[in-house]
Amino acid sequence: MTNPITNMPNDPGDIKGEEYWAKRGAINLFLFRRYSPSARATNPQKPVLFLVHGSSFSARTAYDLDIPGQGDYSLMKTFAGLGYDVWTMDHEGYGKSSHTDGFSYIADGVEDIKAATPIIENQTNKSSFCFFGSSSGALRAGAFANTHPEKVKKLALAALVWTGDGSPTLLKRAEKINEWRETNRRTVDEEAYKEIFTRDVEGLTIPELPSVAAAAEMKNGGGSVPNGTYIDMCVNLPVVDPKKVECPVMIFRGDHDGIATDDDVLRFFINLPNKDKQLVMVSGQAHNTTIGINRARFWHSLDSFLSMPKRVDL
Amino acid sequence: MEGPIWSHEYFAQKGDVSLFMWRKRLESPSKCPAPKPVLFLVHGSSFSGPTGFDLQVPEKQDYSLMDKFASYGFDVWTLDHEGYGRSDKTSGNSGILEGVNDISAGMELIRRETHATSAAFYGSSSGALRAAAFAEVFPNSVNKLILDAFVWTGEGSPTLTERTKKIDQWTSRNFRSVDRDFFLSIFTRDKPGTSEEGVAEALAERELAICNSVPTGTYVDMCSLLPICDPTKIKCPVLIIRGEHDGIATEEDLFNYFNKLPTRDKQFVIIPGLAHVTFLGANRSRLWHVMKDFLHGPDRIDER
Repeated sequence: MTNPITNMPNDPGDIKGEEYWAKRGAINLFLFRRYSPSARATNPQKPVLFLVHGSSFSARTAYDLDIPGQGDYSLMKTFAGLGYDVWTMDHEGYGKSSHTDGFSYIADGVEDIKAATPIIENQTNKSSFCFFGSSSGALRAGAFANTHPEKVKKLALAALVWTGDGSPTLLKRAEKINEWRETNRRTVDEEAYKEIFTRDVEGLTIPELPSVAAAAEMKNGGGSVPNGTYIDMCVNLPVVDPKKVECPVMIFRGDHDGIATDDDVLRFFINLPNKDKQLVMVSGQAHNTTIGINRARFWHSLDSFLSMPKRVDL
Repeated sequence: MEGPIWSHEYFAQKGDVSLFMWRKRLESPSKCPAPKPVLFLVHGSSFSGPTGFDLQVPEKQDYSLMDKFASYGFDVWTLDHEGYGRSDKTSGNSGILEGVNDISAGMELIRRETHATSAAFYGSSSGALRAAAFAEVFPNSVNKLILDAFVWTGEGSPTLTERTKKIDQWTSRNFRSVDRDFFLSIFTRDKPGTSEEGVAEALAERELAICNSVPTGTYVDMCSLLPICDPTKIKCPVLIIRGEHDGIATEEDLFNYFNKLPTRDKQFVIIPGLAHVTFLGANRSRLWHVMKDFLHGPDRIDER
């Protein structure tokens, strides 16, 4: 059965949720997996999909949110229903992963993903996966693709910023650079989430989202997150080299996203050497494409990119 | 589930000029009167609508773009522009802007037959120029626009640089001869091996059975009048598709066009393994996939 609004399959009714742990030195890293045995059996060609979270949410707040009575909000459940084997992880200092005295910079995130991949390989018998990252999660995923191209089959990037030139959000964020550097963590509560969801434009997320996200984040990670990605995005961009991304890439950009200018994103796209690439710009979207009211449009684009027929070489 | 595909031919009138139209959909309108979304396919410079978009290749499957999108649930139409295929041969050279008038006449007929007030448009090569120019002039008639093998200013285009060497030939007469070797060259000029053997031959056989010359207007326009299209006047969502090896335009030319489109619903997709005639290439299924997902995307929910 297909949902007539989203054009996506309805919940198959057997979606599993499994927890795993990876180690990076002394740091414990939490991994979470969702899949549907029946959907996997029906769609055996669907790949392993690794979701990389951004700066202000732990993995399940970002990608496995449950809002009763408001329809599907979990990207993990939606794609598990489509037949994907969906994984995500809490980076160092986020969610259930070890809260260290580090800042959890983009480069640390790359090491986190590197530590997670053997677990996923072991469970799935696959040696490369499709990656999706949003915001600084796109930077983590992009930087991982730079250094470990053999592990990245396809790369989908949402809410991407490359150089940060002209970015309204980063210009404002940089005003507090001393605050981000002073301590390695900041509080994320309902007020912080309300600011994140409305800073670009109001009305593209439901009013209940800040309180639901804050409650989920408190449950998942205790209500605070590391500052490293904020610092990187303010003073260390670019951290991803498009010329070193070898796999097919889709860039998804919401029309109101202030994290980057169109020009910055387009120049990143132009510099990608692989000719299998898509730039998808969609209206009715701000920075948080995965949990906005038009998230179905994002799902549709992501599934389409990941489901592209294989290339025929004569 | 795919059912039988119904087809029918029509003639639209543009003044004294009769324009051939070809339609395909699942089930006839009388058997299945529920409206289907209309997809209008606009052909390019060198072969007519049904020849390119409804090609049957001996011993090979799935070469008809019309059949494929009919099976996806669309009401698929194409038209032979003035001087092409089964449309009237006139003394004109059937330039891009004349093609806009042809499409306008075709849309009048589609409105009468389907009651649809707008259609999704797909145009390839100079067909993309015709479709984009039509969308500029008749924005209410175009709900989505797919531009494939497109060129905007033509700056740095390998194909147009080569073509311009014969501009005196194109401007000296309104028709140019086409033969088997010419059709074969379309499939090999960019990158040999991007289409299966037998496809160019099948296309040549079918087109040469109805005509052995085509108008020169779009060649003249593409060599001497670009840019003809103004991206700032397009209002609907736009998908630009580019075959990796297409020599009709540089990527930069297309990025510049894309960047100037005012709509915030726009996509730029490059498909490896395809050259200029994407819909008859070995990797045409990747084209269908991208087109289908663009046309089938969920509607936007507006602010709450």
